[in-house]
Amino acid sequence: MIALQLAINGILLGGVLALSALGFNIIFGVMRVVNLAHGDFVVLAAVLCAYAFTQFGINPLLLLPVTIVFGFVAGALVHRFLLRRLPREIASAEASSLTLTFGLSYFLAGGGLALFGGSFVSVPFLTGAYQLGPISIPQARLLAFVAALVLSVGFAILLRSTLLGRAIRATSQHLEGALACGIDVDRVRTLGFATGTAIACAAGTLVSFLFNVNAQQGVLYTVNAFAVVVIGGLGNYTGAVLGALILGLTESFSSYLLGATLAEAAPYFLFILVLLLAPAGLLGKRAA
Amino acid sequence: MKTALRIAAVVAIAALVFAPLRLNGYLLNLLYTTVLYVALAYGWNIISGYAGYFSFGQIAFFGIGAYATGLLVADQHWFWMVAALAGGIVACALAVPLGYVMLRLRGPFFAMGMFGMAQMVRVLVTAIPATGSGAGLFLPPGSSLTGVYYWTLAICLGAIALTLWIDRSAFGLRLQALREDEQVAGTLGVDVTRAKITAFSLSALIPGLLGGGYALFLTYIEPDAAFSSRLDLQSIVMAILGGVGTVWGPLVGGIVMTQVSEALWARFPQIYLMLFGGLLVALLLALPRGIVPAIASRWRAR
Repeated sequence: MIALQLAINGILLGGVLALSALGFNIIFGVMRVVNLAHGDFVVLAAVLCAYAFTQFGINPLLLLPVTIVFGFVAGALVHRFLLRRLPREIASAEASSLTLTFGLSYFLAGGGLALFGGSFVSVPFLTGAYQLGPISIPQARLLAFVAALVLSVGFAILLRSTLLGRAIRATSQHLEGALACGIDVDRVRTLGFATGTAIACAAGTLVSFLFNVNAQQGVLYTVNAFAVVVIGGLGNYTGAVLGALILGLTESFSSYLLGATLAEAAPYFLFILVLLLAPAGLLGKRAA
Repeated sequence: MKTALRIAAVVAIAALVFAPLRLNGYLLNLLYTTVLYVALAYGWNIISGYAGYFSFGQIAFFGIGAYATGLLVADQHWFWMVAALAGGIVACALAVPLGYVMLRLRGPFFAMGMFGMAQMVRVLVTAIPATGSGAGLFLPPGSSLTGVYYWTLAICLGAIALTLWIDRSAFGLRLQALREDEQVAGTLGVDVTRAKITAFSLSALIPGLLGGGYALFLTYIEPDAAFSSRLDLQSIVMAILGGVGTVWGPLVGGIVMTQVSEALWARFPQIYLMLFGGLLVALLLALPRGIVPAIASRWRAR
């Protein structure tokens, strides 16, 4: 019975992980940039929502459009004014984009710390639980799962059917091909980075009523997104859903079986293992 | 020109050696910090600068060195320098099997994989009762800051000498070849795996040796201090700003950034992280190749 309860907790957690990883994946896809500031956007949105809730009593779900727009604009600005300005021709282009997002991560975490302080905040919102026999399903987790599902499907539809979504996918799949088709890759990158950041902020909004957050926890969410994407295969959107479920289950079972301290190591262990054994992800094809 | 530089180097080393006789506690502390960062940046520069394997986890070896020293001094009553030497050797020896596994990863995967590795080591150390778990480990007092300073200075000078040698040796050429194109380097007869693992273990030896001195400096170690992400981040930033894969980049970057960082920390502790992150981004955009290459190209242009 405990196993079933843990499995349900893990699956519900997986929803938010999948949403956050979707944003990370889009950014990697269009730019080949591992965005180390991803988790900081998640956490920043979460802290903002918690602040709005405690100060003004605003329901975090109502803030979803606000955080999404905020993330979109912030992402577009970061790409336009920072990432795009990095020289492309130098040998360590990959290293410099990593370093830049690393610096950005510290900037955001430090800014959040200065603005909101270092204490953990949470949103006491939907604290009840549904009882199904011996199993209890926390309302907040269920809501976050459903919202994450709706948002993920929404963004997936946008990626499939809109012109921008197609341009994003084309750029991810084959840069030269996209250029040859007349896609303005530079613009697609800005919009792709913006979309990815918007999704991070949407995920953060859901995180705000799931967990206690503080501005310095971004690294945790970056690592989670990275782990999910690595497990599923970079750029593989279906794989990421599987990755999120695996990571959610791992976190839920390991914290029960190993205790909170050792469980902290579980996601790292998982993603290093997958990186080494299946570098292209569990569903990925072996890259050239 | 060459003689002038040599004389300057000798004077600088002499000044560093005699500095503890003259400096007060605060300045010696600052000097120790600077030398520590410069040495860490040199350690990182071998695997990440010369070999091109960008690591976010070299702090793991620093922490291993610190904890090995702490245990040997506190439980076995070793003399601390011997213990710190042993700590460095332990870190270096662990790097060989670790490198064998981790260096199969490339680019961002290696960077993040090493980050994860360092976090795992930190958590594992926290979980071992002998290390005092999360509560930490007290070291018996008895070492002075001067002793730790000399230890760190010796390692720093050794790291510079090692880098000078690498820069001119066939080994260094092999590293640069595999950085530019690993497959081509392999077909040209470079034993790529061996070169990478050697570079990786050298990049582990230096922080491993430094960790023991740091443990003595703190006289108390706990996981968050020994595996400090701030130390890791800053040493990487210094090497990058100085110039990745250059001989003098870590020195210039380390000296400049330590002063900047200390000044920011002293004046704006609340927004230090934000300022430091912002500064990193701004400097990266202004000098993407680093200070030393920028000066060198200007010099050549004249």
